[in-house]
Amino acid sequence: MIIVGENIHIISKAISRAIDSRDVKAIQALAVAQSDAGVHYIDLNLGPARKDPIAMTEWLVKTVQTAVDLPLSIDTLSPVAMDVGLKMCKRRPLLNSISGKADSKEHMLPLAKKYSTEVVVSVLTDKGCPMDVASRSESIMETVAYANRLGIPNEDIWVDPILLPVSADQSQAKEVLEFIRILPDILPGVKSTLGLSNLSNGAPAALRGLLNRTYMMMLGRCGQYSVIADALDRQLMALNRGEMPEYVKLVYQVMDGESIDVASLPADARDYVKTAKVLTGEKLYSHSWLED
Amino acid sequence: MQYRAPVEAYTGTVREITLGTGAKTLKLGGETALPFHFFDQGSIPNAPRLALEVWDMPPKDWARWVVEPFQDVISDPVKWAQKCVACGADAVCLQLVSADPAAGDTPPEIAAQLVKAVAEAIPVPLIVYGPDDEKKNAVVLAKVAEVCRGQNLLLGPAVKENYEAIAKPVLEHGHCVIAQTSLDINLMKELNIKICKSFPPDRVVIDPVSSALGYGMEYSFSIMERIKQTGVIFKDGMTQMPIIANLAGESWKTKEAKEDRNQGILWEGMTAVSLLLAGANLAVLRHPETLRYVKKLFGLK
Repeated sequence: MIIVGENIHIISKAISRAIDSRDVKAIQALAVAQSDAGVHYIDLNLGPARKDPIAMTEWLVKTVQTAVDLPLSIDTLSPVAMDVGLKMCKRRPLLNSISGKADSKEHMLPLAKKYSTEVVVSVLTDKGCPMDVASRSESIMETVAYANRLGIPNEDIWVDPILLPVSADQSQAKEVLEFIRILPDILPGVKSTLGLSNLSNGAPAALRGLLNRTYMMMLGRCGQYSVIADALDRQLMALNRGEMPEYVKLVYQVMDGESIDVASLPADARDYVKTAKVLTGEKLYSHSWLED
Repeated sequence: MQYRAPVEAYTGTVREITLGTGAKTLKLGGETALPFHFFDQGSIPNAPRLALEVWDMPPKDWARWVVEPFQDVISDPVKWAQKCVACGADAVCLQLVSADPAAGDTPPEIAAQLVKAVAEAIPVPLIVYGPDDEKKNAVVLAKVAEVCRGQNLLLGPAVKENYEAIAKPVLEHGHCVIAQTSLDINLMKELNIKICKSFPPDRVVIDPVSSALGYGMEYSFSIMERIKQTGVIFKDGMTQMPIIANLAGESWKTKEAKEDRNQGILWEGMTAVSLLLAGANLAVLRHPETLRYVKKLFGLK
C-alpha cells in the first residue's frame, strides 16, 4: 500500500511552533525521518493557513524539498496556500483535498487542473458526511463526474471515503470497508486514500496504533490504494512491507467469521484479533476492548 | 405454497437479577428474546416492572396535579412509599434529593436511616438514587449500604468518577448497583467492564439515562435497543444486564407536563411506553395514573 506520511501537520503544537519560528532543522529532521521510514509521499498539513499563507507555504515546501526527494501532498483549506504550494512542487504533487462542496469545486478543484496534479476527492458535500455505502457512492460519483468534466481523469483521482473515529460511530469502519470494496465497480480507474489516524481519534493514546494497524490490514484486503498515516509507527511500516503475515492471516480470519482459539495465541496476536472483532462490528466498542 | 414465518432463536441471555429479600423479592431480566418478541423462540420470564418514586423532602416546584395523589403524605417519605405500593407499584424508588450539597446537604447517616425506615415499611423492594453530586453520592450510598446491610437494595447511580467507592460497600453489604452513563453505549460498556472487574455482573443494572419525549427520548430509545440487541443477539457479556428507565423526573420537568394535567400524564406515559418497548426492564414513574395506564396497555398485573 502507498503510504503518505502524515507527520508534518499544523495541529501538532511542536510543528506549529517550528513553522512559525521557521525552524528549518526541526522540519527537515521530520521529513528525513519519514523518508527513511519508507513513505511514498509526504503530506504537508497547513490547516486553514490564515496567517501569512503565501510566505508560510513557500518556506515549508522549500524546506522539505531541500531535504528529501519525495512527491508532496499539499493539505490545506486555503486556495491561496494551495496554489503556492502546488506551484513550488518539484515532483508531481497530490492536492489534498477537494470535496463535493460548492466552495471546494469552485475554488480548489481548478488548481488540480491548473497544475496537473493528482487530487484527493472526498465524499463530503454541502449536506455533510454520508454515513453509508449508498450515500457515499452517490456523492462521490457526482463529484468525480464533475472533475471528469473539468478534464481530470479517474486515474488522477484518489477517493477519500472519510473515516470517522470508531469511538464515535463504530458502524462507519464497516461501511468504509464495503465502500472501498465496490469502488472499482462504480468508478473504474480511481485510486483511494484516507486519514488512517482518524479511526483511532478518541481512543486511549497507547492503543491508537493498534487500531490503525489492524484497520490498515483490513483496508488492504478490500483493495485500498493508499493511506495517510503515521510514518513513525515502525510496526505499521513493517506490516506494510509484508513482514508480519501471521497477523494479517488472523485479521483475515476474523473478517471471514472463522472461529479462532484466542486463548492459544500470544498476547500481541490476541490483541490484533480482539481489535479486528471491534472493527468488523462483531464486538461493541469500549475503550477497554482489549480487556473485554 | 405454505408460508413459514421466520423465527429467531437467539442464544444470548440478559442476566436475571433479584432485588429484595425474603417475601419481598422482584426479578428483572432473564430474557433470551428481544422486548415483547413473544413470537420468537426465546423466553421472556419476567415482565417489565414499574416503580413509583418518592422524594426524601417535599418537592418545591411540582405541578399541583402531580402532588395531588400524594398531598397528604408528601412530607413523610415512609407514608408516601406505602401509598405508592397501595397505588400498585412493583417497587419504590427513593430519590435522596435533599442529600445534594446544593439542596439540603443531608448527612449520610440521616439519609441512611431514612432509607432503612422506608425499606422496612414497604412490602416491595426498594431502589435508591443518591444525590447528583458524585462525591457526596459515594459517601451517602456507602452509608446506606452499611445501615441497610442484607436487604438487597438496588443502589445508584455509580458513574465513571465514583464507581469504585460505591461498588465496594454495595457488594460488601449485599446489594445491587445501578451503573449509569449518559447516553453513550460505548462508555456504558466501558463502565460495566470496569465495575465487573471486582463486582458480580449479575448484580448490575444499567441506567443509560432516560430523556423525555421531545427532549431526547429517541437517544435513550436507540441505546436501550442496542444494549438489548448486543446482549441477546450478539451475546456481549457486558451488555447482558437489565435496564432501568429513571424517567419520572425528566418527564415531569418538561413544559408540556407542567402546563396541563392530562398532557403531563401522557408525557410520562408515552416516555415510559417507548422505553419499555426499547428494552427497559423497569421504569420509574411519578404519577399513579400513569402507572395504571401503562399496566393496562401492556397487560401487566
